[in-house]
Amino acid sequence: MKEFDIRDQSSFKELEIIENLRTVLDPELQINVIDMGLIYHIDLSEELRIRIEMTLSSSHCPMGEAILQSVKNCLEEAYPGYEVVVDLVWEPNWTYENITEEGRRQLGR
Amino acid sequence: MSSSLPKQSDGMYKLVLLHYFISGLCFLLLAVLFLFSIKDISGHYFNPHLLAITHLAALGWGTLVIFGACYQLLPVLLETDLYSSKLPWFTFVLFIPGLFCLIYSFWVFEPGIHMQAGGLLLTSAILTFCITVIRTAKKSKVSSIHKEFIVTSSIWLVATALVGTLLVFNFHYAFLPKDHLQYLRLHAHMGLAGWFLMLIIGVSCKLIPMFLVSRIQLNHLLSWSYYLVNLALLLFLIDGYFYGINLHTYFITMVLLAGLSCYFVYVKKCFDSRLKKKLDIPILKTVLSISLLSLALILIPVIIYSSSKQNGLAVHYSIFYGMLLFMGWITALIMGHAFKTLPFIVWVRKYEHLSGKRKIPMPADLYSSKLLKLQYVSYIAFCILFFCGYLLYSPVMMIIGIGCLLISSVAYLLNLVILIKHKDKSLSHERI
Repeated sequence: MKEFDIRDQSSFKELEIIENLRTVLDPELQINVIDMGLIYHIDLSEELRIRIEMTLSSSHCPMGEAILQSVKNCLEEAYPGYEVVVDLVWEPNWTYENITEEGRRQLGR
Repeated sequence: MSSSLPKQSDGMYKLVLLHYFISGLCFLLLAVLFLFSIKDISGHYFNPHLLAITHLAALGWGTLVIFGACYQLLPVLLETDLYSSKLPWFTFVLFIPGLFCLIYSFWVFEPGIHMQAGGLLLTSAILTFCITVIRTAKKSKVSSIHKEFIVTSSIWLVATALVGTLLVFNFHYAFLPKDHLQYLRLHAHMGLAGWFLMLIIGVSCKLIPMFLVSRIQLNHLLSWSYYLVNLALLLFLIDGYFYGINLHTYFITMVLLAGLSCYFVYVKKCFDSRLKKKLDIPILKTVLSISLLSLALILIPVIIYSSSKQNGLAVHYSIFYGMLLFMGWITALIMGHAFKTLPFIVWVRKYEHLSGKRKIPMPADLYSSKLLKLQYVSYIAFCILFFCGYLLYSPVMMIIGIGCLLISSVAYLLNLVILIKHKDKSLSHERI
């Protein structure tokens, strides 16, 4: 569960972004990128810019470009006027432990 | 967006689709040729029609679709771009005429210029494929057992093609010192265990845990599997060349079974530790495929025993063994994985840029699930009727079984066409 500071406006926005990103699905597993544990960091420190630091379940994943593009498209649609930057990182390495309880529940259906 | 992920060119996309499509056509042709060869199946395996059918199954159906899938999967498995996007086209242009020359000349049995040209074209195509694999692997910084499996399998494929071409020339010039059938056995096992088995283990041990989201992957078992299967194959080739099938073959079979057991345990652990509980049809086909492989393995001691006693049943069980491997293990695996890999290839091309912007279909929505079910059910009916019919010497059961295979191949091909021809309907709806 994401912790947020009630006195910090950007905390609310970060939660809103997380909710938006729940609509972006991994095409094979059909689980959203948040519950897959692919999103590492959301940076709102720059004005009119959303910077997402994320990973993929494997490098050279055939769906990798599609997932990155989905994250960018989703946030650009939700926040017109904002520049969305998606940084792909490989550290720390994604493992199955990154999948949230909700993600595991959906996989178990 | 800062990423270093590979982009597939239009040319490579078309080439991959062409491989899948022509391979689907070969599958249909295979079912039709089967229908005309019931009598041949009941005879000796060294006859023109069975040679044509076996090579159509191994090269047109199996190898062609594997080539296409490899061009897509090698960058994923080896984590680097393909060495060249032109060389695969060159492979394809050599492979297709070579394939049809060889199949036709086997069917009518004319061991002249067409058969020889077919053999040479296919060997050249396979050599260029091997160069693509080895060069791509050299570029890759990944050090894994999957890489060893894939590179070794392509080397075995070259060796199989070279021996095959020698055999084709031997029909005409009879220069080989030993019995033709002895080489044929070695050629067949280089292809089955060296090419298909090595490649299938190498690719499936990466894809199965990926599709099932398996938490536990016992990679050390794969290393054991790699060394034991290769050792068994090398021993079989050396021993088989000098002494044919004999008591040593039991020991060699034990080495092979030990290697395969490591792979089976690896797969079982992937299934046991999977997070994705529901198994879809393509994964169920993988399970069926592994079961049919196991059934074929059980036959090996029976074949060795019958061969050493020079028993007539050796030929009967050898054909059954070959059928279980080609029409069971390899066919079930291809039918399953084609609808696991190709929908993604098409989806990425058609929907990647729209993903996240609006509601779009998922890869599994790009083909007909009804046709997939029909293909699955009719294939299972084929397995039951055909294999039981063969064991019970019942031509009627075999013909009905082949009828089911025909239905399955038509459903497979139709679904491929639906998938390849898929158009973004949501876009045209929005325009209205």
